[in-house]
Amino acid sequence: MSAPVEHRLSRRDFITTLSVPLLAVGCGQPFDPQRFHVPSSSTVGLFPAGSYEADFADLIFRGLGELGIRLAGRRVFLKPNMVEYELGTAINTHPQVVAGAAIACQRAGASEVVVGEGPGHRRDIEYLLSSTGLADQLREQRIKFVDLNHDDVAIVPLQSWFTGLRELALPVTLLESDFVISMPKLKTHHWAGMTCSMKNLFGTVPGAVYGWPKNPLHIHGIPNSILDLTATIRPHLAIVDGVTAMEGDGPIMGRPRKLGFVAMGSDLVAVDATCARVIGLDPEKIEYLKQAARFLGVIDAERIEHRGELPARYATRFDVVPALESLRLPR
Amino acid sequence: MVEKIYCEVCTPSIHLQITMSTNGQIGARESFEARTDYSRICSLLRTALLATRNKDGGWGYAPARRSRIEPTCWVALALGHSAGQPPDVQSLRSWQRQDDWLLDVPGTPPNAAFNALAALTFVQAPSAAALAQPMVNRLIQTSGRRFGQNDAVRQDNSIQAWSWVDGTASWVEPTAWCLLALKKIRSRLRSREADERIQAGEQFLFDRVCYDGGWNYGNKEVYGRKLWPYVPTTALALLAMRDHRDHSVVARSLEQLQKDVASERSVVALALTIICLRAYGVETYALEQTVIGLWTLGDRDNLLSTAMMLYALADANRQVAFTV
Repeated sequence: MSAPVEHRLSRRDFITTLSVPLLAVGCGQPFDPQRFHVPSSSTVGLFPAGSYEADFADLIFRGLGELGIRLAGRRVFLKPNMVEYELGTAINTHPQVVAGAAIACQRAGASEVVVGEGPGHRRDIEYLLSSTGLADQLREQRIKFVDLNHDDVAIVPLQSWFTGLRELALPVTLLESDFVISMPKLKTHHWAGMTCSMKNLFGTVPGAVYGWPKNPLHIHGIPNSILDLTATIRPHLAIVDGVTAMEGDGPIMGRPRKLGFVAMGSDLVAVDATCARVIGLDPEKIEYLKQAARFLGVIDAERIEHRGELPARYATRFDVVPALESLRLPR
Repeated sequence: MVEKIYCEVCTPSIHLQITMSTNGQIGARESFEARTDYSRICSLLRTALLATRNKDGGWGYAPARRSRIEPTCWVALALGHSAGQPPDVQSLRSWQRQDDWLLDVPGTPPNAAFNALAALTFVQAPSAAALAQPMVNRLIQTSGRRFGQNDAVRQDNSIQAWSWVDGTASWVEPTAWCLLALKKIRSRLRSREADERIQAGEQFLFDRVCYDGGWNYGNKEVYGRKLWPYVPTTALALLAMRDHRDHSVVARSLEQLQKDVASERSVVALALTIICLRAYGVETYALEQTVIGLWTLGDRDNLLSTAMMLYALADANRQVAFTV
């Protein structure tokens, strides 16, 4: 999602805004180290899918097996990325991937599978569901959809304090599930650098409480908000639509770019770091990934094991807006 | 307990048979021909809404969900309007308050847009109209945060209209709602501050209009790329700007709305457009047929869209809540 408030900030103001909460916590950590454990290594699967004609239910089901994910008896919540719709673009997680994931979770024994999203710009979820085709997919598979923007909410204490906020209202459907899967579209992001499984969590913040766009998240800094949301929601798995990604002026106005894989992993930081490297960005230079490596997950390439294909098979250099050139991996 | 839906759409007539479930889900056992009998459609929608009222007298966004300001206002307006009566604002009267704000969810910041809608709802109930005034006074005192100019977006960031919640930027939807509320009781306000706030809101909408007309959440471009308007947001902004109907921006946006709505497949968007176009005296029959068909096939658990549809389909002559 784009972050219109930063449109009102100069780049310098924006960076300052990001830094303030970090400084505000003074010498203390913006998280409690006792509550988090960074594994010594993490596993990320990159599974080939040349087009959206692929059998995603089969692919994701096999991915769950390879990663040792157990879903029997669990209430699974799938959070795709749905932002806008424009024919021929690659803005949203493809409905085939979402439906495939839902079927795979059912096959794996999930007691319930719910799909939910709270778009940041458009209030009108019915428009997005019908125009993207996701409504048809969900109806066909009899999968329940919840509009997170208008769901009941509960006030939740944040588990890290990069934003300086202590609590946030979050949708009860998300909170009541016991296995959360972040399902982003892999895209460049003109403010955050890249949007993947962590940034995707912006869509869990209810618009009917915070507005459209979810401006308080921008005011408190996008990287800070990404960190606090990830630390608090702690999704159990990421399934990334990297079949056709977006480069350039993402997350809305960029160009589609074929990559040909679905990425999966239970360490969202490792998944996002891997995806960043694949598109030619250095995770160490993406503020929220760099901070996340301190307490949420692994970004060191040598500590990430791979299933399926190796990242080198897909490695490329995405176009980025000029302001993000500094995030590139060296050639 | 399980809702059973039978829906046959046959142009130009629409026949419905919806089975009422016992767990609060929307529905009614009826058959009718939509072309000829709007009163029966409205009766169905009324039945559906009344069946989903919470014990506290309000409505949630979906059945069995906590009462919230926005659906409660829309349902109250729609039920009242469709029955030719003032809205029942009993639950809004007893809503939890913080200062003069109604709190949508305790523990979360007051929402300017929904408070403006609540003020508009109170205004429609003569016995409660006085309750609107302190809320509107709060709206007059509040404004979106001011930001410096930024090359990424060419817009006037000095204009402070209305934000959704305090401490954030101004956006189109809360600005439209607040403008509607202020304009609705402007004659009673008679204050320079109110006039200035209305002026700021209108200036903001003129500034943020998309290049071909219409409005989205509030940015017309980013990095030189034009952004496109949204149907429901445009309809709402046009309602707030109806007193400027001869202005070129308003005329262009009205034209854009009529183009864009042709491909629209959302009940909320269509219902708001019908309400808007009726306020501008534009024929809406085809849209009414479309929205009826969509509602039968769509998410009948969406109480907001159901209420908007009821309001939109009921007697046009009584649609005064959003007319300025």
